[in-house]
Amino acid sequence: MAAPMELFCWAGGWGLPSVDPDCLAVLTYARFTGAPLKVHRVTSPWRSPSGHLPALRTRDEGTISKPQQIITHLRKQKYNADYDLSATQSADTLAFVSLLEEKLLPVLIHTFWVDAKNYVEHTRKWYAETIPFPLNFFLPNAMHKRHLERLQLIWGDDYMEDEEKLEKELYREARECLTLLSQRLGSQKFFFGDSPASLDALVFSRLAPLLKAKLPNGKLQQHLKSLQNLCNYCTSILSLYFPWDGGDPLSSAPRAAGTDGSEAEEDPHKRRKQLLSVLVGLAAMLGYAFLSGIVSIQRGSVGPAGRQPVAMQEEEEEEEE
Amino acid sequence: MQPSIVYSYRSVAKWALVFCNYVVYFFFFFFLSTEDQILLSDNASSLAVQAFLQMCNLPIRVICRANAEYMSPSGKVPFIHVGNQVVSELGPIVQFVKAKGHSLSDGLDEVQKAEMKAYMELVNNMLLTAELYLQWCDDVTVEEITHPRYGSPYPWPLNRILSYQKQWEVRRKMKAIGWAGKTLEQVLEDVDQCCHALSQRLGTQPYFFNKQPTELDALVFGHLFTILTTQLITDELSEKVKNYSNLTAFCRRIEQQYFEGHERDSAAIAAQSSKRSLLR
Repeated sequence: MAAPMELFCWAGGWGLPSVDPDCLAVLTYARFTGAPLKVHRVTSPWRSPSGHLPALRTRDEGTISKPQQIITHLRKQKYNADYDLSATQSADTLAFVSLLEEKLLPVLIHTFWVDAKNYVEHTRKWYAETIPFPLNFFLPNAMHKRHLERLQLIWGDDYMEDEEKLEKELYREARECLTLLSQRLGSQKFFFGDSPASLDALVFSRLAPLLKAKLPNGKLQQHLKSLQNLCNYCTSILSLYFPWDGGDPLSSAPRAAGTDGSEAEEDPHKRRKQLLSVLVGLAAMLGYAFLSGIVSIQRGSVGPAGRQPVAMQEEEEEEEE
Repeated sequence: MQPSIVYSYRSVAKWALVFCNYVVYFFFFFFLSTEDQILLSDNASSLAVQAFLQMCNLPIRVICRANAEYMSPSGKVPFIHVGNQVVSELGPIVQFVKAKGHSLSDGLDEVQKAEMKAYMELVNNMLLTAELYLQWCDDVTVEEITHPRYGSPYPWPLNRILSYQKQWEVRRKMKAIGWAGKTLEQVLEDVDQCCHALSQRLGTQPYFFNKQPTELDALVFGHLFTILTTQLITDELSEKVKNYSNLTAFCRRIEQQYFEGHERDSAAIAAQSSKRSLLR
């Protein structure tokens, strides 16, 4: 057995194993197929070998970053969730994937990253709290900007500026897309009968964040919640395939202990970082004062009475550090 | 198989009306200008809308304008002009026509409707994007076909400026959807995958959903027929479609049923009339 492949993806939150739809898709697919992956849930894309998340580190093909390519790679390794599908069902998979990518995903990105209220109160809050210092100051904004740019290119500027048009056309289409999915799913357990396929991984990864996140502005969310079968579908996948990292932390002791431990571990880190930042600030101020000549150290000769004590204070500070 | 009908350019010049059961609305149907200017992707979209309106039995009058792109509310061709309303692109046009009481997809159940929408997105997502990629991102095609055609109605230096502006816009969009890094081979592979899916779905049926055509049929016809009949630098793209005999037969069937009969008295075939010379 080859060494397990390593998957890097965004950390979990909101009751999900990973908050990022793309990471969630790969993770879910891997769970469906039972592929042996060593999953690293990281809190910053800088920890990933490719600089992007998700990323799969393989032995023979280097690092793969695109979700679709990761799934293709897993499929080549004989972890294929679509093995039982007929040719027509495979065709349907392709069609519904297109539907999701074209109609739902851009609106989903808008809901999470561009909608001012949701972004400030929910998305940025989570990322700013999760990403380690000092990246948390600019990474969420950089991501916001990247998503915004992408949507502007896909839709054109007039949609982004005209709130009403946006709501009327694009959100309506996204709601329609959700309704279509709900109709297609019907009362089945998965989209193609009783066993999950790659389409299920993708649909789940797009819907679950929308269902689980506590968005202040939840227009799309409300529509999803009104489609009972899709909600049940998401919760059942979550409880079947992610029994310990999705739901109640109390239900599984080891994982809960793990998270508690890491939280407790984070506290001293925080203290140390605070101390460090204060020291860096202080050093910068003193350095400036020293360089610009407000403070000077004179050895041998006795300086003016006013300056002497300041210089001595500085020396003391440096000793402390 | 090559569709054998070669339409003459004369029919474009003629403005003709197709009178059908109820002449209630006149659909003024605009698409991008003349045979010299229209590009693969615009031609496909225009043909799809035309096929859709034909399937609905609606009277249309085709108008070609060099500046159709700038007249359209969404900046895309084709668009229709009915009364004082202007609607562009297939999706909104389908809705608009439905609001007027003509619909092709009423007979479908809910699951089928969901599948129809999904396949329409598949065509838009893959075939349309591949066409755009080919005509704006493949350097040889851009140089030899796209720029001369796109800039043809304008004098120098406007033709260069507008072409480059459009090219820049399309390439940025490709980057946003992750297609910028693809090679031509990968794009052709995607087209093949899409055709395979469509072919599987169609099977041996006359239309995608049994006996009656729907807007999906119009869309697929528009794109595949255009790809099949358009001469590009290489015929790799059309070869991909020709591998699937049921798809070519499907195109032929729709062409015969909805376009051949009307040919003499209508200019509704404007899109194809430019076919043979299209893109060189």
